[in-house]
Amino acid sequence: MSITTPVDAVMEFRRRDAGDKLTGRTRYTIDRGAPGMLHAAVLRAEVASGRLVKLDTSKAAALPGVRAIATAADAPGRVGIGIADHALFAQDRVRYVGEPLAAVAADTLEQAQAALEAIEVEIAPLPAVLTMQDALAPNAPLIHPEWQDYEVLLEGGARAGNVAWEATAVRGDVDAAFARPDVRIVESTFRVGRQNHMAFEPRAAVARYEEGRFHIETSTQVPWTVRNATAGFLGVPASQVRVTVPPVGGAFGLKFDIAIEPFAALLAKLSGRSVRLVNSREEEMLTCLFRENAEIRIRSAVTPEGEIAGREAVVLMDCGAYGGEQIFLTTMTAHTLGGNYRVGASRLVSRAIYTNTAPNGAFRACNGVYNTFALERHTDEIAAALGMDPLEFRRRNVLGDGDLGATGQKFEAEVLRPMLERMEALRAAAPPRRPDDGRLYGRATTVGTWFVFTGPSAATVNMNADASATLVTSGVEIGSGSMMQGLPQIVAATLGIRPEDVVVRQADTDAAGYDVGVGGGRQTVSLGAASLQAAQEVRGKLLAVAARMLDASPGDLVMQDGRIEIAGPNGAGFSIAEVAARAQALNGPVAGTGASARKGVPSLPGCAVGHFIDALDIPVFAVHDCEVAVDPETGHVEVLAYRVVQDVGRALNRSAIGGQIQGGVVQGLGYALHEEVSIDADGRIRQNGFETYRVPLASDVVPVEVELYEGAPSLGPFGIKGAGEVPILNVGASVACAVANATGARVQELPLTPPRVLALLLGRQPELAFPHILPAWDDNLLRPHGAQP
Amino acid sequence: MPIDMIVNGEAKQSAADPMTPLVDVLRDEFHLTGAKPVCREGFCGACTVLVDGEPRAACLTPAGLAQGREIGTVEGLSAGGRLNPVQASLVEHDAVQCGMCFPGMVVTLTHFLAQTPRPSRDQVRAALTGNACRCTGYERIVAAALDVAGA
Repeated sequence: MSITTPVDAVMEFRRRDAGDKLTGRTRYTIDRGAPGMLHAAVLRAEVASGRLVKLDTSKAAALPGVRAIATAADAPGRVGIGIADHALFAQDRVRYVGEPLAAVAADTLEQAQAALEAIEVEIAPLPAVLTMQDALAPNAPLIHPEWQDYEVLLEGGARAGNVAWEATAVRGDVDAAFARPDVRIVESTFRVGRQNHMAFEPRAAVARYEEGRFHIETSTQVPWTVRNATAGFLGVPASQVRVTVPPVGGAFGLKFDIAIEPFAALLAKLSGRSVRLVNSREEEMLTCLFRENAEIRIRSAVTPEGEIAGREAVVLMDCGAYGGEQIFLTTMTAHTLGGNYRVGASRLVSRAIYTNTAPNGAFRACNGVYNTFALERHTDEIAAALGMDPLEFRRRNVLGDGDLGATGQKFEAEVLRPMLERMEALRAAAPPRRPDDGRLYGRATTVGTWFVFTGPSAATVNMNADASATLVTSGVEIGSGSMMQGLPQIVAATLGIRPEDVVVRQADTDAAGYDVGVGGGRQTVSLGAASLQAAQEVRGKLLAVAARMLDASPGDLVMQDGRIEIAGPNGAGFSIAEVAARAQALNGPVAGTGASARKGVPSLPGCAVGHFIDALDIPVFAVHDCEVAVDPETGHVEVLAYRVVQDVGRALNRSAIGGQIQGGVVQGLGYALHEEVSIDADGRIRQNGFETYRVPLASDVVPVEVELYEGAPSLGPFGIKGAGEVPILNVGASVACAVANATGARVQELPLTPPRVLALLLGRQPELAFPHILPAWDDNLLRPHGAQP
Repeated sequence: MPIDMIVNGEAKQSAADPMTPLVDVLRDEFHLTGAKPVCREGFCGACTVLVDGEPRAACLTPAGLAQGREIGTVEGLSAGGRLNPVQASLVEHDAVQCGMCFPGMVVTLTHFLAQTPRPSRDQVRAALTGNACRCTGYERIVAAALDVAGA
């Protein structure tokens, strides 16, 4: 069988869903309905912490149009990642404002909402713990007094009280490094707030109960998680749940977890009708699985020459009332904060902390965005302490070929250093945009390390007798274009047909095998690997049939431009349709299957404890450069120019990647400058819509200058890497470093809103102090790294 | 009392309460789901429609105010399935991602470019201020609009 060469799959294929999306024809989940469908609404707690004393639904049930009411008794199960700590409804205890108490289905939404009003609720308030500092205080009230009784789904993480999960990464002798006579210790602290995804399509689901099974149409990134977690909440076999996914109107990680689907499913079963549930914007704001707020302390021991002898860090991640994604994301610190630089010895702990606030979740380059901010600002503080140019410091210290990461994995090839050189060339090509209007000018170049989550994916390719191919996977199109561009390109290139002739089936857990979901930059990589394998099987079968038809050896055939021919000039051959039709008649319809899984790059034994992934299969690097002007009168920061050099392995579709970079950078600018979430004294999220949560607008942004760096090693098919996740990674870092350079102030927090910048300029921003991060690194751990529980 | 309006050139009648947001009448009664109720408070622009030729947030427009008026939705801008120049340019610039904001973007830009056939880049940016997008970072949308204007 001849090998598909990488260049075959590289195309500027335009996405096929654009026309329908531009003409209003695309039917997202919120646009779907069925005759006789009921409308659902969820009753949510108004207090942050309390004991549920009374929940009486009898009056509500008697109201007109009400068809079903579901409560905790209908959903006995607990689910989670790492620890099963989360039930669908508050059971005896309320843990955050917005926690579901009951769900109603009625003929109209107004009737469902009226029924919510009629449910009698009594909650006896308990002390609320709203900050990580309070949660870690001695004798703090326990948010989960029964934490020891929860089922543990992954062994290894330390847990106790309000510490939901603790992961450590230790390599080398950090104490010895810090004790070296030639080093100086630089210490930095940082704090970031939450970020709301503001996906335009709210979380939405339409559910039916048919033939003893649930069918849920939903706006999700993770159809298989929805299938399995719905079953877990409801206490039914997972095989009874089918999940299909229409086009998703934005996600960014928000939809990387189970959301409202089980309510709709439960109500469909109870009522015997289709049930539609769509979050209001206010519900989306209140119960967003935000990018978590975090608090970070980093210390490094550096030599006068700029060698990083040792480094330690404590990262506190607020998981809110339930562990959710944060449990998993504690793993990431080792790679996002432990990446970027060659370090002699390091010890890192990341701790997910329970608070009585809405649970946090995953958001594009989750954990990495703030750890990169912290690491890059810390790096600039080191360079300043040494009196070294920050770019020179980076040039000397970025990870290179053979360097070890925080868990002892060996990085391959020089990638960051040549990328820095590319950025320097870009910088040199354009004069600095120094303003002449009295505003302060600052500039910074930062580096970042991300990685592609690989993990299981499955694909089937059915070759049709008309030479079209149908690709069946559980992949979801969330807007990134993977399903519209990357995957059809891979299949088409392998089969010698046009990408237009690859039909991509919408995700359906009844039709395709398990998939981890869209996120972490894995879609085109993992589903791409599975799709490539499936297409190669089809290719082999067609070539075998064609070889018989042509009385030739399969190895002598070429398959391209819709034909299979004997290689060479004037080669005889057939159209692929003719071969596919013959194959179908001879052996039945032609199909191929593919599966991919994590490759498992080794780490050093014992380095990582409580981690879900010990080493990175596919590291991804990014270098960003940002120029800002700061108004000393108002504290307003304007981004003047933005440049990105991104490691993409191999660019399958440069246009699609460019769109991801522009969009990701702009989302990062919002995070860096004005997207702010705050929580009031009662534990309620203050921002309830677009008016109070400011996302970037057209007048805020600049065109991002993009250079794709190709050729770094990757285990991905054709050497590709995920490209949609990483563009947001260094944006907070770059803006923060540029603002620090402009103002001379110590930037320790994001977002850099005008009031915060003004306070920095006026010296009125107090230095961060974290009494709940203890001076000695070891004292922050529940148990010593590597000790048995 | 029923509300009579012309929607995309067709006479339509709604039995909705006059205070019902127009976006709900369009979507739930007339099955024109192009306009998206994203924020329901007039900030995001995803439900923008034309009311007697002027762009309006359909979430803040009571259905009663549509009485006797001509309503234009994104579905009406591509008669016969042909993309209008704005839509075609957005395709050409590979601008679309999740797509939820585009029905409103297309209505806004089509109207804007009819009024301002030779806009500057800053005028396009200003015209888009009422239409938020969470995916694209706007630049390709701006470029697509300028391309239409240059044609």
